[in-house]
Amino acid sequence: MTTMMTADQRRQFEHGVLPRPTQDERARQEFVRDFKFYLATRVSPGNRVAYESAVVPAFTAANGRPPKDRHEVRREMEKHPYYKMWSSLQRTSQEMMWNACQMPVARQLDELIGVAGSTQAKAGSLRLNPDLKMPAYHTAVDIHCQPGGYHFEAKEGDVSPGAVYDRAVYLYAMGRMGPFNDDMGASIVNWLRKEHPNFKPKRILDMGCTVGHSTLAYVEAFPEAEVYAIDVAAPCLRYAHARAESLGKRVHFSQQNAETTDFEDGFFDLIVSHILVHETSGKAIRNIMKECNRLLTPGGMAVHAETPPYKDLDLFDAFMLDWDTRNNNEPYWGASHEIEPAALAGETGFQPENAFEAMIPSAFEAAEAERTKVFQGGDFAGGGLWYIFGVKK
Amino acid sequence: MSVAPLPRKAKGQRPHFFEDPAVDRLVAMVMGLAGEVAVLHDRLDTMERIADRKGMVLRSEIESFEADDETKKEREEWRAAFLDNVLRIVQQELEGEREGSSRTPYQEAIHLVENAV
Repeated sequence: MTTMMTADQRRQFEHGVLPRPTQDERARQEFVRDFKFYLATRVSPGNRVAYESAVVPAFTAANGRPPKDRHEVRREMEKHPYYKMWSSLQRTSQEMMWNACQMPVARQLDELIGVAGSTQAKAGSLRLNPDLKMPAYHTAVDIHCQPGGYHFEAKEGDVSPGAVYDRAVYLYAMGRMGPFNDDMGASIVNWLRKEHPNFKPKRILDMGCTVGHSTLAYVEAFPEAEVYAIDVAAPCLRYAHARAESLGKRVHFSQQNAETTDFEDGFFDLIVSHILVHETSGKAIRNIMKECNRLLTPGGMAVHAETPPYKDLDLFDAFMLDWDTRNNNEPYWGASHEIEPAALAGETGFQPENAFEAMIPSAFEAAEAERTKVFQGGDFAGGGLWYIFGVKK
Repeated sequence: MSVAPLPRKAKGQRPHFFEDPAVDRLVAMVMGLAGEVAVLHDRLDTMERIADRKGMVLRSEIESFEADDETKKEREEWRAAFLDNVLRIVQQELEGEREGSSRTPYQEAIHLVENAV
């Protein structure tokens, strides 16, 4: 049994670089998590009540028809006092989350940098590129309101964005992605085993790995495979490397933009990403898919995990899931949820008929009772399903 | 103990949901305050439970406690840090004004990633 299989399922695993909060810091973080859970379960559902009981009847009376798309729903809902209050609370909970996660990191930063900097690469490796330019889709606004984004560095060897992100993801998902925050990777692994039982990837690439949450699920599942992981942000990669080594997992991390990497043609037989796509841009996702095409060996596969596309949701759920586009510094969220996998495959050198999409169940079953089974802003990992799309080469 | 100067405000224009953005700021303050009350509640709860385990008579001692000068000074410092946290939203508005992002429409970021970069 590995550490990852025996860890306490009810709390985040304390690996070697996880910031250690004081009693008060922990209480502050736990309040944010409970506040978010309260919003998702006791406040957010009221938005549908307001929509169905007030907004739709008023709109229909005035226009002779109900709202026809999510943009019309949004324009009407934005006038409703209940939605205003929920939105205001939701945005506040996000800012409180980052604040509460920053405090212990700011206090212990020198220590965390020291631990990461003295990491002995026993299993994997870390390769940074100080000349890599941060893409404009990461510098236009700080994605999902994390102050400084993924790439901020206060001092040499900084790991603070990774350390803040690691804890924040646990709170954001309210623990429902497991003690290692690896539910998306683990869910794709389950799907591969079920749908492609004979597929045994030899080289795996995780694009946009941040701190390697999902990456480690592939190391766990395919111990014979070489696992590579890339990200644009050096401070996240330093943290990811130290974290993986602390957990005894072999990953080769390198600082690269997924739009154009330095790996050889046909180097990988499995390329994955987890909530990467919505943090890129319309142009970048096309470049990324072209790069997947170049990097995949014939018979290989690219799989990207996200929340469900709007076409699969009813009008109101699509509107609620779209909240992040305008209100949580996720500017590409909306457009990324309208990607057509077959069309994208065709545009990027793949055969459109080799594209696929699926809704796959969450691997982390211990959180089943705390899932709302709804896809809505501020309720990440609450749906119990992940959307994957991709293509075979 | 040094505290690293991490950025506190996320780059980007903050949305407001009420006609008057001051209402959104008040919502943030109330919840910031609620969070600090919860932190305090957990700490008091921890103290009382530890005291119970040790068989101590804590409540009457709390009632008769008198703070000395050093304690008073420490409490003043604590309250300054406390107010800094509760009133974070006010500092954030100011930081947004300084960096100019409060005047850059957020729509430009959507336009940029959907069309330009």
